[in-house]
This record gives sequence, structure tokens and C-alpha cells, in this order.
Amino acid sequence: MGNKQTIFTDEQLDAYQDCTFFTRKEILRLHGRYHELAPHLVPMDYTNDPDVKVPLALIVNMPELKENPFRNRIVESFSEDGQGNLSFNDFVDMFSVLSEMAPRELKAIYAFKIYDFNVDNYICKEDLEKTLNRLTKEELTPEEVVLVCEKAIEEADLDGDNKLSFADFENMISRAPDFLSTFHIRI
Amino acid sequence: MELREFNNQVHPSPDYPSPYSSQHSLRLRTGPTQDTSAVQFDWSSPPEDAEDSNEPQNLRELPLHMSLKRAVWQVQKMKVPVVSSSWNIKRSKTFHRFCEVAKYILSYFVLWNRGIQRIGGHFGGGVRSYFLFLRFLVILNFLSSLLIAAFVLIPSIVFRSMKFNSTIALTVNLNGTESCLHYDPKPDALMVFYTYFLDLVSGTGFMEYSYLFYGYYNNSKIESNGFSYNIPLAYLLTAAFYFLFCLICMIIRMGGTARLVVVTGGGAVGGYSMLVFTGWDHGLQGDRTTKLKQNNLRHRLQVDLEEERLKKKAASLTLGQTVSLYALRVFLNLVVLILIGAAFYGIAEATQFSQSRKTTGFVGLLLQYLPSMVITASNFVVPLLCDKIALLEKYSPSTTVILALLRAVFLRLVSLGVLLYTLWEQITCKGEINSGNCEPCSYYYDQYKCWETRVGQEMYKLTLFDFLITITTLILVEFPRRIVVDHCSCKLTQWVGRQEFLVAPNVLALVYSQTVVWTGALFCPLLPFINTIKFIFFFYCKKITLFQNCQPATRNFRSTTSNFFFLLVLLFGWMLSSVVLLYSVSKIHPSYGCGPFRIYPAMWEVVPEAVKMLSSSSKEFLFYIGSQKCSIPLFIFSCVLLCYVNVLTSVHGKSVALLRSQCKLEQRDKQFLVRQIEELNATMQNLHREPQQPLRETEPFYHTSPQWNQYNNYAFDPNEDPNPY
Repeated sequence: MGNKQTIFTDEQLDAYQDCTFFTRKEILRLHGRYHELAPHLVPMDYTNDPDVKVPLALIVNMPELKENPFRNRIVESFSEDGQGNLSFNDFVDMFSVLSEMAPRELKAIYAFKIYDFNVDNYICKEDLEKTLNRLTKEELTPEEVVLVCEKAIEEADLDGDNKLSFADFENMISRAPDFLSTFHIRI
Repeated sequence: MELREFNNQVHPSPDYPSPYSSQHSLRLRTGPTQDTSAVQFDWSSPPEDAEDSNEPQNLRELPLHMSLKRAVWQVQKMKVPVVSSSWNIKRSKTFHRFCEVAKYILSYFVLWNRGIQRIGGHFGGGVRSYFLFLRFLVILNFLSSLLIAAFVLIPSIVFRSMKFNSTIALTVNLNGTESCLHYDPKPDALMVFYTYFLDLVSGTGFMEYSYLFYGYYNNSKIESNGFSYNIPLAYLLTAAFYFLFCLICMIIRMGGTARLVVVTGGGAVGGYSMLVFTGWDHGLQGDRTTKLKQNNLRHRLQVDLEEERLKKKAASLTLGQTVSLYALRVFLNLVVLILIGAAFYGIAEATQFSQSRKTTGFVGLLLQYLPSMVITASNFVVPLLCDKIALLEKYSPSTTVILALLRAVFLRLVSLGVLLYTLWEQITCKGEINSGNCEPCSYYYDQYKCWETRVGQEMYKLTLFDFLITITTLILVEFPRRIVVDHCSCKLTQWVGRQEFLVAPNVLALVYSQTVVWTGALFCPLLPFINTIKFIFFFYCKKITLFQNCQPATRNFRSTTSNFFFLLVLLFGWMLSSVVLLYSVSKIHPSYGCGPFRIYPAMWEVVPEAVKMLSSSSKEFLFYIGSQKCSIPLFIFSCVLLCYVNVLTSVHGKSVALLRSQCKLEQRDKQFLVRQIEELNATMQNLHREPQQPLRETEPFYHTSPQWNQYNNYAFDPNEDPNPY
């Protein structure tokens, strides 16, 4: 439209448009939000791809994530180093997967990563218990927690190894009609 | 593209067909260790021969880190060989971008899209489904009012303004029915001011003789300069098309919902795992909503666990206890039926009382609204009592909810039916049209000089009263409640708490309003238009009260199956009103003094008369379609089609179940094979470590095989003599 922006080169914007579900405008807006998180750290000029990572503590203070019980796990799953420090690439990637245009399969992959607290590619009982405690603010009694975890694994586990692999998880998600609308953060 | 799943990491497992297959042959291999976040590329893979238009989409759907995706993008960009095909690629890319931008802009035009998304974010899927249902009804009513305006209202206005009178001679034989022709609703010139207001809300006086009601329309048939328009025929056919149009819209919407319900198995299976993994709405923001959602989830889990406990308890009851429980339930059901029957009796009496009195002024207004008041009161009181009774019945929580809904639906729809039945009784003297009061005119002329207008007035009053009650409840109950709860911190107010937006009663209220509109549309053509405005008001009022006064429901709501259920109830309402339509069109004699059908023995008779005036070829065609030669084979064909679709559904369901069990088996097989490979590896390693000399003399043949394997599979050890013999 004629506005000459100097944050990204055209090629970079093209790359972002093709690699995420965002339009040009949204990517520029996301950059604005990213810059707001750490104005001293994040440069306004990204044309030479600076290697800047915003730490976890600053990212989880975003209003979209502040009250989410899984905020730490979400940010960790999208960070390249696994510690939750997001570069702009990871930031955009995170919100692209969590946007409403991402397909179910992609969201299922990342949902599995998020709920797998000990990063062993299986959702075992401990992972489930941690998930459940965060969901209910730890107000269920321990017996109820154990009961619910047992029932959940019983329902979803297909290969009988008492933990959920990605195939089990995806099979269970495919029957959930609300998954697409609940696994969605609007930014 | 074969995308390996993240956890095929330890052993090189066989290629599983990927769920997102495309034409790419870009291979991705996971690293040899358990580090799944480092996905490595196989740069030696053969070049892609993919369709270029799929590339942008597939790159987005890759579950890789962004830096890797950008690297892939660079590689793809560099691999564009020829200039002309790069122009093609650019063109398809621009086209994709244009489509995306267009979709984004069009989403602004969908009615209330942003508002409903915001509601969903704050209050969850159940409340959102109520507003989606409301929006569907608004659009349906708007389109129907356009239909009626185009074919009935505007021609009537045009012909009236051109002062066309009825151009057909009265050839009907009026033996003894001249007295039935008198109908003079024109109001007196001198009227007290407040009578305008009374007339406005009760549909009498100046409102009665207007385009609002059936009685004002003429039976003009215009034929001039080759242009002919038959108002009675247009009126009837428009009503018929209106009903068909609503039916088709509902069925299309139900089809979409039903498909989802069938695919996801109704959502009842896999309750716990689905609740844990998909229960949290990540889009929620704000401290209060998050805490409420957490309470909500905890409550749901506890309710589910409670149900299990109850089921176990119920299975373990002794015979005596079971018998007494069932006896109690039968008794309580009888009590509920008696309550509902009492409500029906009250409605019938109120209707009869109000129809037979003719007082004017404010008391007259109250009397006219008596049936509406009784219906609203019973719709409020009886479900409340039923809820209290349900506590004694000791059903499981989900059964209690379903039972309460069924009782409420039954009460609402059948009370409307009772009202209509009472009206019919009065109009046609209990069906005996040749006795007593109905003698000369086949309807009760003294009270109902224009009975269609009276029925239309009743429906109009019901609609208005419903609107009035909702707005009054909002202003007088919900806002004060919120103010009291927020500012007064005594125990009573904290126990009562803020208003909860209960979805089910609200949706049933919408269904009831829509049924009233359908019933009244034949007699009050502007009613869909009034209803559109009413529902638009409802949207904004409910939205305001939702955000200002309500807290999210603690009891949750299975939105998908419930959506289907609400559309089903709407369909029942439609069926009730179509029965009324069919009966009044074919059985009851239209009024002699008013309306477009005044000379016909039944409203339906317009159609055969119009058919008679068609050209002979069209007449023959219509007769042929209606004859047995054509209709019976058509009927049989549609039955065959129905059976085919039914069989297809069951086959699909069975194949889904089969595929699921196949999935399970494959997983078990994979585990078995992995274990076998591990065992084999262990034994191989053990064999490799044992000293080989003692084995050489005894079994030379058998040793060549492991040694030959070793020679081929593992790195060749130059120190070992490959040929021991």
C-alpha cells in the first residue's frame, strides 16, 4: 500500500508469510508486541536477522498468557533451546500454531509437546497428574486425582503400555469436537 | 512427504503413512538419539517434483522450528529453475494471498462475528452456541420477511394505492350467509389518546385494520396488459414456501451438526481424557474468568466421578431397594404430569375466559393478555417445581439434566398447542360447524367476525408479551441482583450470588418464540419482521446482561450434542405450526367478511381454481405429476434413496470402528516387534562377546552364518581373519 516499513526486508516478510498463518500486517503487529516485551533488548531493525532472545519471565507476563496455567510449558515447547527463551522466529511460530487457522494435526503435535512435562515423548501418569493439578488449581483430593488419571489413561491408551504415545493422543484428540476452538489464543 | 513422528526415535521403525501426505518427497529424519527437538534434514534427498501451489500451505503445517522452516523456504526459492515457471509461481502465490485477504475482509461482514467470538472467549462454548442459534434465527426471520414483503405486502400496497377493487363477480351462492358479510373494524374518529397505546399492544382498533393482519388484504386478482397477479394465490403459496424455506434451512444446519456428532461419537466416549486435554480454553484471559474456569473443570470432574459412584451404588442395590426406588420414581413422574396437566387446564380456562369477555380500557387489556400471562407463569413455575422434585428422584446428574430439558420442552410446546386447541374449539364450536352458534357461517360469527385476524392477534400478543417480560426481567431482576450482590456483603447475597447465564432455558425461550411466529405467520404476515426486530433487540440486551451481570455457568454444557438437540426441538415446533397451517388452510371456512379468501369454502380452493385457468399443456403436466403413474414410482425411489443413505452411514460407522481397532493392533504389533528386535540385539551382543574358539571345531557350518552376518553388517575388522578355514 505504499507504507515503507524498515523493520523487515520484503524477502523476510515473504518468508514469514509463507511459513506462518499470518499476513504482512499481522507480522508487523507481532513485531510490535515482541518489541514491547523487552524494548531495550529487541531492536526495531530486523533486516539482518539479529540473534535476540527474550527470556521466559518476560514472555509469560503477556496478557494473553498471564493467567494460563500452562504458560511455562507453552513457551518452553516453542523455544529452540527448550528453556523458554524465544527469538522472534519462535514467537511468531508460537502464535501461528495457536491461531485459528492452524490445522488440527499441527495443533495436536504441539499440544502433545506441551502436556509432556518431562519431555520423554510419552504422557505418563506424572505428566497427567501435573496437568490435572494445573487445570483444577490443585483443589481435587489426591484420591480423585489418581482416579481421574487412571481413567484418562485407560480411555486413551491403545497399546497398553500405561502411558500415552503421540498416536494415542492424536487418536483421542480426533474425537474431541472442541479441540480446535479451545487450543486457540488470539493475539 | 513422509513426516516421521517425533517418537520414532530409538529404532528405525517402518514408515507409517503420514496423515498429512502431499506430493513432496522431502525427507525428514529424526536424530539417532532421543533428542526430538533437533530434526535434521536429509540434504541428499532427490529433488522435489511437487505442485507449486501446495508449497506455501505445506510449509506452514510443518511442525519445525521457524529457523528451519525459513531455511527450507530459502532452499525452495532457490530451486526455481526456469523464468516462465517462476512467473507461474508468483501468480499462484499472489492469488493465494488475495484469497486470504478476501477471506479476512469477508469475515468482517458476517453478522456479529467479533461479538460472538468475544463472548466465546469469556464465557465458553455453551453460551456461544446460544448466540449462534440466535443469529441463525435472526437471519431466518429476516429472509422470510423479505419473502413475504416481496410477494404479498408490496403487491397489496401497490394495488390498493392504484385503487383496484375486486374485479371478479360474486358468483358464489350466498344462501343464507349474507349476515356473515358484515365486518367493520374501522375505528371511531374520536378516540381518547390512551386507546392508541391500548390498540398498539393488543392489535385492535387502528392496528386491526392494517397490513399487519390478514383481514386487511383484498382478494384482488389483477389482469391487465398481459400482466396478471392473483393475490389470494400469492398469499397461500408464499406461506407454503415460507414453511418449506425454514424447513430446508433447519435441515441443512442440522446436517452439519449431525455429521460432527456422528464423527466424534457423540462426545460421550472418552470423557475423562478429553476433558483433561481439551477442557482448558487457552483463549481465556483475565484472572476472574480463569479462576472460574478452573472451578468449572473441577466441578465437572467431580460430577463425573460422582456419577460413577452412583452407578456403582445403583448396581449394588438390593431388590427391595430397587423396587422402592422405581415406585418412588413412577409416583414422582405422576406428580409432574399432574402439575403439567394443571398448567394446561389453567391455560385453557384463561383463553376461554378472555375470548368471551369484551371489556375495554386497561382492564380489557389485562384480560386480553391473560392467556399470555398464564403461559409465561406456568413456563416459569412448573420447571422450578420439577427441578425440586428431580432432587428426590435420585437420577445421575446427566440424566437429570436431560429429563429436565425434556419436561421443559414438552411443557412449552404443548401449552401453545393447548392455547390453539382452545381457540379452535371456540371458533368452530368444538368442531360441529352446523350446530348452534356456528349455524349460518360455519364458524362462530358473533364473536369472531374475522377469525383469522383474531388468531393473528393472539399470536401478536404472545410475541409482544414475551418481549416485554424479557426486557422487564432484565431491568427489574438482573441488574438489581448484580448491584445487591456486588455492594452488600451479607451471607445471604453471597449464597445467592451473581446471575448465571443458563443456556438451556434461554434456548427453549427462543424456540417457543419462533414457534409462535410460525403459527401466526399465515394470519399476521408482518410477524416475521416484528420477530426479526425483537430478536435483534434480544441479542444486544442479552449481550449486555451477560457481560454486566452474569458469571459463567458452573455446570457445563456439551455444546455439540446440545446444538443438535436444540435444532431438533425447533423442528418439533415447526411441525406443530405446520399442523396448524395445514388444518386452517384445508378445513376451516375462511371468514366471509375479510381477507383474500372470502369467497372460497376453504383457503386451499384457490389452487385448483388457478390450475384450471392455466394453459392445457401445463395443466396436463401438473395432473401427470399428481397422478398415481408418477407419484408412486417417485415415492418408491425416494424410499430406496433413504435406505441407501442409511446403509452408507452404518457402513461408514463400522469402518471407523474397524480402523480404530486396526490402529490398536498396529500399536501392539509395533511394540512386539520392538521387543523382538531388542531381544535379538541382546542375544547377538552376547554371542559376539563369547570366545569363538571352542565353537569352531564342532559346528563349522553354523558359524559361517553369524560370522558372515558380522562381516557384512558391521565394520570390517582388519585384524580378524575373514576366512577361518
